[in-house]
Amino acid sequence: MLPALKISHLRKVYRRGTVAVKDLSLTIESGDFFGFLGPNGAGKSTTIHCVTGIATLTAGTIEVFGVDAVKNYREARRLIGLSPQEFNVDQFATPRQIVDWMGGYFGMNAAQRKSRTDMLLERFELTEHAKKSFRELSGGLKRRVILARALVHDPALLILDEPTAGVDVELRRDLWRYLQELNRDGKTILLTSHYLEEVERLCRTIAVVAHGEIVRNGPKAEFMTGGGLEEAYLAATGAEPDHIAGAAA
Amino acid sequence: MSTQDVKLPPMGINWIGLGTIVRREVSRIMRVPIQAFIAPWISALLFIFIFGFVLGGRIKEIGGHRYLEFVLPGILMMNIVNSAFLQSTSAIYFQRFLRFIEETLVAPLSYVEMIVGMLVCVVIRSVVTALGILAIGACFGVTSVGNIAEFLFWVIAVSIIFGELGIIIGLWAKNFEQLNVLNVFFIVPLSMVGGVFSTIDMLPPYLRWLAYANPFFYWINGLRHAMIGFHEGPPGVGLVLTLVLVVVLSLGTLRLYATGYGLRE
Repeated sequence: MLPALKISHLRKVYRRGTVAVKDLSLTIESGDFFGFLGPNGAGKSTTIHCVTGIATLTAGTIEVFGVDAVKNYREARRLIGLSPQEFNVDQFATPRQIVDWMGGYFGMNAAQRKSRTDMLLERFELTEHAKKSFRELSGGLKRRVILARALVHDPALLILDEPTAGVDVELRRDLWRYLQELNRDGKTILLTSHYLEEVERLCRTIAVVAHGEIVRNGPKAEFMTGGGLEEAYLAATGAEPDHIAGAAA
Repeated sequence: MSTQDVKLPPMGINWIGLGTIVRREVSRIMRVPIQAFIAPWISALLFIFIFGFVLGGRIKEIGGHRYLEFVLPGILMMNIVNSAFLQSTSAIYFQRFLRFIEETLVAPLSYVEMIVGMLVCVVIRSVVTALGILAIGACFGVTSVGNIAEFLFWVIAVSIIFGELGIIIGLWAKNFEQLNVLNVFFIVPLSMVGGVFSTIDMLPPYLRWLAYANPFFYWINGLRHAMIGFHEGPPGVGLVLTLVLVVVLSLGTLRLYATGYGLRE
């Protein structure tokens, strides 16, 4: 089976010369629940932007289920759903419009959009807020709209860039259950998060990125030996774990 | 969708995606009807009243046409240009500013579909603006469209030119201030001296070259010919100029989209 995502020697240099991603290679198997960790500015979001078409690549290749994401970008994008870190929506549009329009961009006809939008608004408990403008919604409701939008075309690869940032515990746990259901149904999920508990609970494979490169990559079990995921993460990123920092002080 | 059925057939033209860009933009325009339509209609009404009635009372006829009939095509063209330019600059800049342009970047839309979607909205806004001004002109008994095909050609072609210029400015602008640069320094001055209110014969001979060097002169002249049959200046120049600009600006806009200028990080 083709990998869901194969990134080879990705390099991204911004116009002002900032090297956001140095040389990043990564393979995510189809059906995996993949945790993509790293400190702020490590290159996680830039990598995701390169995969989804928000950013251009300086060098390297990206394949989504074997489809070249640059040469055959339209085919590749049909396979991806993105829930970005920031609320990149028309703030004056309603949740129903936001989800429906995204379905339209992906070529879904009116009946498909209506059915899928109704289902997702219901699933994320947005039905009663469907006609409010996005900017009137609370942070948690906004996050649900962004997730519903990412799922409207039923993508094979779901990319979630800090999907639970700023949401309450109830929604976070409900979202975890939903993501696990989606993954059980065969959807491949790439998750970035600063909540290590979330990654520990959901993901089967983990990669840690620092300074634009993958510094550790493997099954979750390998990260759980010794001091657990947090220790392994801090060691991989070169940060000092608390007990070492404490002892030094 | 399961992992077993990720093989998708190749995509043709994404008509639904293109239509969705149009639906979304029309929805945005309808949120600001005063800015989009009422303002140009009031502006046109004031121009017709002041130049047609108050000042135009001193000029009885030009080329066998009432002065108000003569100025109406120019007023119409000024508003078409303004509507087209504002539609695309505001649409692109608003999308960039709020970052929801990323919605279309992550979707299976080609650059041509994205541009055509924007231009369809530009033409819709221009045509609605034009219809309103024609209706105002009809209230004064001066609306006449002698050649509908020629009229539509000028309305649509000029809308596309300024729609594409608006896209380019919208991609280039780093702040709201820069959005107005072209409008303030080129569009408004050139349109005001492009033969809206006078013929070339009314200008001193040593200034007539300015009119011939001004592209607005050819567009106003073309629309005036389509509406009342009045024409001045060298025939064919306006048509060639317009077609060349449509092709050059279309290629330029497509190039900017393909390279991601102002769109992608």
